[in-house]
Amino acid sequence: MEEELLRIREVSKHFGGVYAVNGVSLDIDHGGICGLVGPNGSGKTTLFNTILGLHKPDQGDIHFKGKCINNLAIHQIYDLGLVNAFQLPRLFFNLSVLDNMLVAARGQQGDRLYNSLFLRGRWQEQEKGLIEEALDILEVVELTQWAFSPAGELSGGQRKLLEVARGLMAKPRLLLLDEPAAGINPVLGKKIFQKLKDFSYNGIAFFIVEHRLEILFDFATWVYVMDKGKVVIAGEPQAIIDDPTFYAVYLGEE
Amino acid sequence: MTVNWAQVFFNSAITGSLYLIGAVGLTLIYGLSRFPNFAHAEFIALGAYIGYSVAEQAGLGLPLALVVAFLITGIVGVLCYRGIFQPLAKRGASIIHLMVASIALGFVLRHSIGAVCTWKPLYFTAIGSAFDFGPLRITHLWLWLIFAALVLSLTMHCLLMYTKIGKAIRATSSNPELALASGINVDRVIWITWFIGAGLAAIAGIFLGADTAVVPLTGWNIILPIFAVAILGGIGNFYGAIAAAFIIGLVENLGVVGLVALGLSTTYRIGIAFLILIITLIIKPQGLAMLFRRA
Amino acid sequence: MGASLYILDLVVYIGIFGIVALSLNLEFGFTGLANFGKVAFFLIGAYTYALLSQMGVPFYLCLITGASLAAIFGLLVSLPALRLRADYLAIAVLAFGEILRLIVKSEKWLAGGDWGTPVNPIFPYTGSYIIYRLENIGLVFLCLIICFLVVQLLANSPYGRVLRAIREDEVAAEALGKSKAKYKAQVFMLGSAMAGLAGGLYAQYLQYVLPGMFMPMVTFTVWIMVLLGGPANNWGALLGAALVQIFARGTNIAKDYIALPIDLNDLQYILFGVLIILMLLFRPQGLLKESTIKTKALKLVRNGRRAIKNKGSQ
Repeated sequence: MEEELLRIREVSKHFGGVYAVNGVSLDIDHGGICGLVGPNGSGKTTLFNTILGLHKPDQGDIHFKGKCINNLAIHQIYDLGLVNAFQLPRLFFNLSVLDNMLVAARGQQGDRLYNSLFLRGRWQEQEKGLIEEALDILEVVELTQWAFSPAGELSGGQRKLLEVARGLMAKPRLLLLDEPAAGINPVLGKKIFQKLKDFSYNGIAFFIVEHRLEILFDFATWVYVMDKGKVVIAGEPQAIIDDPTFYAVYLGEE
Repeated sequence: MTVNWAQVFFNSAITGSLYLIGAVGLTLIYGLSRFPNFAHAEFIALGAYIGYSVAEQAGLGLPLALVVAFLITGIVGVLCYRGIFQPLAKRGASIIHLMVASIALGFVLRHSIGAVCTWKPLYFTAIGSAFDFGPLRITHLWLWLIFAALVLSLTMHCLLMYTKIGKAIRATSSNPELALASGINVDRVIWITWFIGAGLAAIAGIFLGADTAVVPLTGWNIILPIFAVAILGGIGNFYGAIAAAFIIGLVENLGVVGLVALGLSTTYRIGIAFLILIITLIIKPQGLAMLFRRA
Repeated sequence: MGASLYILDLVVYIGIFGIVALSLNLEFGFTGLANFGKVAFFLIGAYTYALLSQMGVPFYLCLITGASLAAIFGLLVSLPALRLRADYLAIAVLAFGEILRLIVKSEKWLAGGDWGTPVNPIFPYTGSYIIYRLENIGLVFLCLIICFLVVQLLANSPYGRVLRAIREDEVAAEALGKSKAKYKAQVFMLGSAMAGLAGGLYAQYLQYVLPGMFMPMVTFTVWIMVLLGGPANNWGALLGAALVQIFARGTNIAKDYIALPIDLNDLQYILFGVLIILMLLFRPQGLLKESTIKTKALKLVRNGRRAIKNKGSQ
């Protein structure tokens, strides 16, 4: 079995000459909770967008489960088990919360043209099971009573929760979470992270961008610190807190 | 087969001039209001009819007809923007909804014209005749057209470069939020652009109507090639539209030579612009915008 | 023509355009594809039917071939559709439709050019105009029911859910594993096939095809049907088709009874245009709201939870 789940080597991404990501290398192990921190503009979201396939790396390689994913289409990367929850929730606003969840499920029999028309029995059973799963996850994020409401009616914080819930629904091997607890009250945020830890025991690995370090550091087993497109520090949370350069990064000192 | 190349190039200049006048207004409006205004075809037709009344029926000559048509159609354009498109945009209408609204507006305008003026084709007779100049066959109308295209291009250039409103148009065209933040009255910029755009369409309509015939469908017959010019030139890009107008004019007229040589029907002529339109959209939707500075 | 003939004629048109409206609703209402070239696929189906029927091909093969050919062109069109913004796609497909019309107009050997060509009807005239229309109503509505079942089943399935997701946010849909290329291509093919089928039925009903029958106006009329009835609602598409056709054809009947200073045709278009603008301003979602996804499983859950909620309040 491969060593790392996600292996990034010397990845760079530039836009019109500006390097948002400039030679990043990092690893994520199977089942770990890994944090990604850094000041605004350090390239975290661009890095995530490159991993999920929205951008092609200009240099470097990304390997997922041992396979190079540089040139795969976004939906192919999803198929391999790499799922992303966007920083600004990209929900299907006219669809119900439950429908949003159901779109995320993988391996659906019913999303093929022939099946949906002629083999309805096959996927209707599957859908019942998927609905149960979806409702379970919605319960974790306290969105159950909104299940049949359009996603557009959710508040900002609730939308973030649905974005995360949708990611979990996709049964990923690795879930990229871009500031999952932003705009959510700390009590619920802590609860969410506890649940994420439970999911990680099921084998899901997490790569989380989170600014509220006190929440992240309680749960992450490894943290990468980015600044100006590069990884500058890497280590266990306690080691990061003890490292003076960490504060320099945030305060902009050399 | 002998080809009168001088005539071909001269005709290209004529076609290009007509497309230029028709497309400049469209591209500026498209760039600012961010939707394809299909009612532009009816601004063209309206201009043709107004021009006919002034030049033919009242016998007041072409220049006055151009001015009157410009002004009246410009006002109609502003009313349409204020009454329909601005409210729709305020309510968050999508590009497609705005486009459909412009098509519906087109129905209303076209059939109002048809109801009032009947669908019988009207012909200009009073605008001079044809004569030969060396190898070229020229009509006074065509000379007027080329002259008008030159004057209008120069005027628009000066307007955009040297006047306050022109600079405001360019600023709003490239970055509406920044323009708003820098204190530009974006609303005013937009309705003035609609005024100019509709007015220019009217002028194109007079030349088109005078050259062929004036019918309510006068604008519709030319609207797709004009969209081709706007898109090839880069939507919202004035200089691009000028270049694109003459490029398409040239390709079209060369195309006619080619069609005749290949024994194909010359009704395909208009299809050349359609092809350019489709190819541009598929290969490079921004058109020639890269080559020309914004607006 | 007596009133009863007008009405039967109207019903045939509602059936034929109902199919086209359903196809556009599938493409635009559910998937967000701005297909402003609908008439092109209608034309392909019609002309294919015309030419094949003249060669003695049995009618069902003519219809199927027309639909299939339209589907192939639909696939072709879907390729650039992947990358084009909605309005660019709209203009491009519109131009495509005009090119097709230009071809059939200019190539006189193909189908008579501007003057068109006669088409063998499926139900030959046997002396009764009424019977002719009734027979066509039967066939057209059979096709309409089949098409309706197809789009309705799709709408109420995970497939339909994916289409709507692509419409809402295609990047998010891709990030959740749905290949927008695959779905858009399939939808375009299916929608175009339906339009082609309707085109064939149209050609044989009118027993004639000529380029003037396939102007962009047809596309716009179908768009109005979908927008008026309510996008992403199949019943809405049918309602829109019915209302628009009644409006369009109703004036033919009214013409015999009302005298106006203004030509009725012009008045009709003016009213029509004003109506559309008013609708877009004041009820942009159309008459019927977007239909929710109704699968058996979802219905069970909804009812179950309602029962729990009711129990809880007792």
